[in-house]
Amino acid sequence: MHALHLSATSSEEEFAGYVDAIAAAPGCRGRLLDLLREDHPVYDQRGGATVSRMRGWVLVALARGPVSDAALPFLLEELDTGVDPYLVAAAARALRSYPHPRPALAPFVMRALEQIRYRDDPVSFDEYGAYATSTSATGPVREILETLAWLGPHARGVLAKLQSVARSRGLAKQATAAADRALDAIHTAIGNESVDTDSCCELPRSVISACSWPRTDRRDANAIESLPFEDHDGTAVTFEAVFRGHPTIVVFFYTRCDNPLKCSLTVTKLARVQRLLAERGLADRIHTAAITYDPGFDSAKRLAAYGRDRAVRMDGRHRMLRATADVNALRAHFRLGVNFIESLVNRHRVEAYVLDAQGRLAASFERLLWDESAIVERAYELLTESTEDIHAAGPRADDRALPPRSDSPAVGVLASAGVAFFPKCAVCWATYVSMFGVAGLERIPFPAWLEPVLAIVMAINLAFAWLRGWATGRMHGPLLVSAGAAAILASRAAPAWERLGLSGVGLVLVGSMMCAVDSRRRGAERVLATHPGWIDRTRQKAGLRVTPVSLNRLAGSWNLAISCLTTSVRRSTRRRSAAGEAR
Amino acid sequence: MTKKRKAAKASRKKTSRTRLSAALSAKQTPKQRVAMLAQAPLAVCESDTNMQAVLGVLRNTAEPTEVRLAAMDTMATAAFSVVAFEPCRNDYIAALREMSQDPSPEIRESALGLLAGEKDGFAQKKLLEGLKSPEKALVRPEKALQLLGYDVHAESYAVARDIVENPPSDTARREALRLLSADARSAPLFEKLLRDKNEKREIRQISASALQALNPTKLQDHARALLLDDSDYDDIRATSLEAIEQFGDPAHVAKDSDLLQSVERLSTTAPPKYKKGAKHFLSKYTR
Repeated sequence: MHALHLSATSSEEEFAGYVDAIAAAPGCRGRLLDLLREDHPVYDQRGGATVSRMRGWVLVALARGPVSDAALPFLLEELDTGVDPYLVAAAARALRSYPHPRPALAPFVMRALEQIRYRDDPVSFDEYGAYATSTSATGPVREILETLAWLGPHARGVLAKLQSVARSRGLAKQATAAADRALDAIHTAIGNESVDTDSCCELPRSVISACSWPRTDRRDANAIESLPFEDHDGTAVTFEAVFRGHPTIVVFFYTRCDNPLKCSLTVTKLARVQRLLAERGLADRIHTAAITYDPGFDSAKRLAAYGRDRAVRMDGRHRMLRATADVNALRAHFRLGVNFIESLVNRHRVEAYVLDAQGRLAASFERLLWDESAIVERAYELLTESTEDIHAAGPRADDRALPPRSDSPAVGVLASAGVAFFPKCAVCWATYVSMFGVAGLERIPFPAWLEPVLAIVMAINLAFAWLRGWATGRMHGPLLVSAGAAAILASRAAPAWERLGLSGVGLVLVGSMMCAVDSRRRGAERVLATHPGWIDRTRQKAGLRVTPVSLNRLAGSWNLAISCLTTSVRRSTRRRSAAGEAR
Repeated sequence: MTKKRKAAKASRKKTSRTRLSAALSAKQTPKQRVAMLAQAPLAVCESDTNMQAVLGVLRNTAEPTEVRLAAMDTMATAAFSVVAFEPCRNDYIAALREMSQDPSPEIRESALGLLAGEKDGFAQKKLLEGLKSPEKALVRPEKALQLLGYDVHAESYAVARDIVENPPSDTARREALRLLSADARSAPLFEKLLRDKNEKREIRQISASALQALNPTKLQDHARALLLDDSDYDDIRATSLEAIEQFGDPAHVAKDSDLLQSVERLSTTAPPKYKKGAKHFLSKYTR
């Protein structure tokens, strides 16, 4: 075993020696994962390129042996959000040492290909810190394509995308050969159809829980209660004032991050979270905060501009924050996956947290790009316990200054849904009536009194059909409805003709539809011209705004509704008959 | 219309290809080859042969330097079309890394410049090595500092501070200060330089700009003090005036009678080009 001791002051060569030693020693490979933690002291005060070299070498060392489930989040993170060619290439290579290829890995690999294909820089894994200067060197695209070939049958889900990349003719000569190999591997598998797709379509649970997990052992925030912050407006606040009394969704970022898939996307996703909260009427009850890793540079103005450019809502409940003192305490409380060179971040992971009403960490979403709905859901779950806590604690000073909260999120949701689904025209009403007819009548018991009611309804339908036919000058519809009605009556009258009923339903349906769809104004005008007195009388008696056009539409809607209702009644009647026979 | 466009495109491609083959021919004079290479970027990534031919010129140390530089520029121009350049990028970056150690200083500087623009780790490593150990330097220190400035994440601040302390040249010191203007921890250094009347005025101007980026509140304090000091240089006072006018708190400035009196004096005693700014300032705050 290599006896090297690793410290923050170790040189890159010492680091490489240490990595090689633990990678080769049996039972020590797990220690490689410790070196992939962003906050490991060995990365402190090193430049971004140096950190890439060091982490890349750890990934290369991982590739030399079987990769465990515990290492998978680090590899997937690099494929998911990495933009450094060396790290992405190393992660793709290391993934091929994972002993359980599965379809869930393919989207990560494909996403990496789509993101890195225009930064296909040559890389070298021959020795630590080597940079390729030869045209025969590998690159991230080739490594990713080799990984897709390794996935073979498990990459079927991304076949179309891969074909699209291969057809684009954008790949270099060596990469094209690798793409062909990947396509062959997938195609061969499609022929075999031998993949077990039941057990392997998801990531291992340990991987999912490592990236998104509820914290059962919530640490209290007493140590940083008085930690001072400045928000996007330049207002001075404390941790307690911002995070106590309500659940809060917190993300970390910094404005000088040059990886668009990390900070910029995180803050953009936070804006999406805020919209989701607003849609559910929770924007006042669940707060959000984006805290910068780089408070020395990210002034209030910079924070406000960064948030504004990404459509972030910024007010008293939703803030962009910078810690104005004791950043290390904040870092320790959240156990942030970040490291620095001087005051500037050299590497960080994607991280979002949900804090409960006491400001304690209740859930975290780390490394992989988090889902906005999932984080909102997690915060929503905390509301019940938050409400109890709030009642116990009483109103806080800054809460009293805020406008009153809505009574219940359900009110907002129901109001929105009500407005959206309220029928606003005759066709809407007809559709609703039809829908309820189809959906409801089958379920209700069929009382005896319903039959004469339906007979009356059918008679009205017949009358409207003739009215429409007469108004539009098209008689096909009413004739079909009449024939259908006659057939239904015949089927009810004589059990031997029961099958005729089905044809009757069909004829009523088609006839009513034909009447309903012809809504030309010409027909209505003809009614007005021939029966002006009737229209006026109706209008006066009913005190309604009845016009020839509305009457015509009403008739059409009625026909449409009845066409569906008839179908339902017919089915319901048959079921009742069948039940009677069975008894 | 579409046919015409297609025909025009095909014609452009053909012309570009012809120029490229002429540029690669040793029969032409270097001047002609440079002119033709400048017009050939479209053809570079049309085929692997074209790209390898241009890279061949770039790598060939027997070719005239100006032709090699033109070949590098052609590749760099082609790289702007990111999608079309996709198949060429791997070879291009490898060639630039190779060229960064070329015997010709111009080729080295250009290659490192292009790589630094891509935030390439190899280039950063070489540049930092050169700053720490001058015997390994591939380019002049001021150039290295400029190129490192393309990436705030390069570990260049500590080296830049050393250069400010022990500068190999005035230009290198100036570039080191420019680099540090993105370093939050260097704000006190810039405060000191801004107030130091013995410093070169260019350095004090750089310090004012840096302070505006790093700590605007401090700059306002210093700018006021500089404006009140009638013995300081007019251009420095004019810069301070500009900073207060553009970024100061208008309500606070309008009430500051000492400041307004000082600007009044500047508007009468300063050279004409600074008088104008002072008068504009007064018209804004003494209405």
